[in-house]
Amino acid sequence: MNSIIDPYFLMEIFLKLLGYIPMTLGLAITSMVLASILGLFMLIIRMKKIPVLSKLAELYVLFGRALPTMIILYIVFFALPIALMIFAEKTGQKIEINQVPAVVFAVIGLTIHTGAYLTEVFRAAVQSVDKGQMEAAYSIGMTWWQGFYRIIFRQASVFAMPLMANQFLNLIKSTSIAFMITVMELFGAANVICADNNRYLEVYIVVAFIYWGMSVLFEKLFLVAEHKLAVFKKGSNL
Amino acid sequence: MITFKNIHKSFGDNEVLKGINASVPTGSVTVILGPSGSGKTTLLRSINFLEKADRGEIILDDLHIDVEKVTKQEIHEIRQRTAMVFQSYNLFKNKTALENIMEGLIVVKKISKAEAKEKAIIFLEKVGLGSKGDFYAHQLSGGQQQRVGIARALALNPDVILFDEPTSALDPELVGEVLEVMKKIAQEVNCTMIVVTHEIGFAREVADHVIFMDGGVIVEEGTPEQVLGAPKNERTKQFLARYVSFTEYNI
Repeated sequence: MNSIIDPYFLMEIFLKLLGYIPMTLGLAITSMVLASILGLFMLIIRMKKIPVLSKLAELYVLFGRALPTMIILYIVFFALPIALMIFAEKTGQKIEINQVPAVVFAVIGLTIHTGAYLTEVFRAAVQSVDKGQMEAAYSIGMTWWQGFYRIIFRQASVFAMPLMANQFLNLIKSTSIAFMITVMELFGAANVICADNNRYLEVYIVVAFIYWGMSVLFEKLFLVAEHKLAVFKKGSNL
Repeated sequence: MITFKNIHKSFGDNEVLKGINASVPTGSVTVILGPSGSGKTTLLRSINFLEKADRGEIILDDLHIDVEKVTKQEIHEIRQRTAMVFQSYNLFKNKTALENIMEGLIVVKKISKAEAKEKAIIFLEKVGLGSKGDFYAHQLSGGQQQRVGIARALALNPDVILFDEPTSALDPELVGEVLEVMKKIAQEVNCTMIVVTHEIGFAREVADHVIFMDGGVIVEEGTPEQVLGAPKNERTKQFLARYVSFTEYNI
């Protein structure tokens, strides 16, 4: 125990922490999927300029991006149950708020945060598509939805991929904040090990290494997805 | 037959169309000429509501549209009965040449994929690009892209094809091939063509009817012989004198 870094201990905690990867990635992937759906909804609401809703969407994007992730998580974790309790009392329904696991609140919070960014990512992506594409779709008799789904969406997704990769890598790291609302994920587990063994350096080296590994993996995955989607651009310099 | 009645359109304070009245007979080739900013493209785009005119009526055979009270349904219907060829081609970038033509057939005309493909191949051959079916837009030259654009419009068997300066973005060497295809379909296909262009040679040779616009109004219209050969209006004379000398191509 006298050496600064004990290689056996390093290995031991590495194996221990591997078990928390599913929680971290589960949080990140679930939130990403939900945030993408949310972002797509917001995008369409704003594109179609639906009254009232589009104003609300704008407000959401404003707040979602302005608030620190941790504050959003705290609001969801502490304020949402209270709001639900009041709602339950008023309507006489029974909602067992205590039985909802913390991880659900974490997913909700991370989704709200990421969704706001993705809304803007999608907007940029759609704007990158030449407006003549939609005009061409209209000119052959397509509806807005047909043109959006079959033409604009496909072209915009290529543009959006690198930005979504960015957002996802950010999200993986943001999941460490979920520990603050008692979710036992990678960073949380690492902190517990630190406290148990009183050894900080090894644990943080290992945990940093694991985050790095996950990021590299997903960077590559997104790159593959981008190339798959961009099949129609082969040979062009874009 | 397409009829415009008192079409008005402003962009802010700038009144681009100041009450257009005109009609285009079924099966004819009508060429709209005029200097830049005369409103000819706006007029063309107001037919399929890519630009919504402020007031007036657009009548396509049995479809009467009062622009001010137009419904989504009416816009959709007139778009299904017309097709457009764009100045910047606007081929769907995520589709091959063949898929560009099939797209409208499958999605709008609701015919089967196999049948659409067969049909698309025929039209691609018609514009002389039978071997380019699997190429994406960026792999084709401007002239080839525009010919695919024409095939895409033709395949839908529309009542009217709207040509919005189809050769303006092409370099001079490629203009000929596109005009040739347009001339060919004017002769072979019995569909109304409205062509906004600066190609006076094309107007003279192919058009049945020529409309000359300036400053948001129709200055003069008639057969090519009348308008181009013996213009009556001073503005038309002036325009033609400046134009004919250096923009004529042999087709």
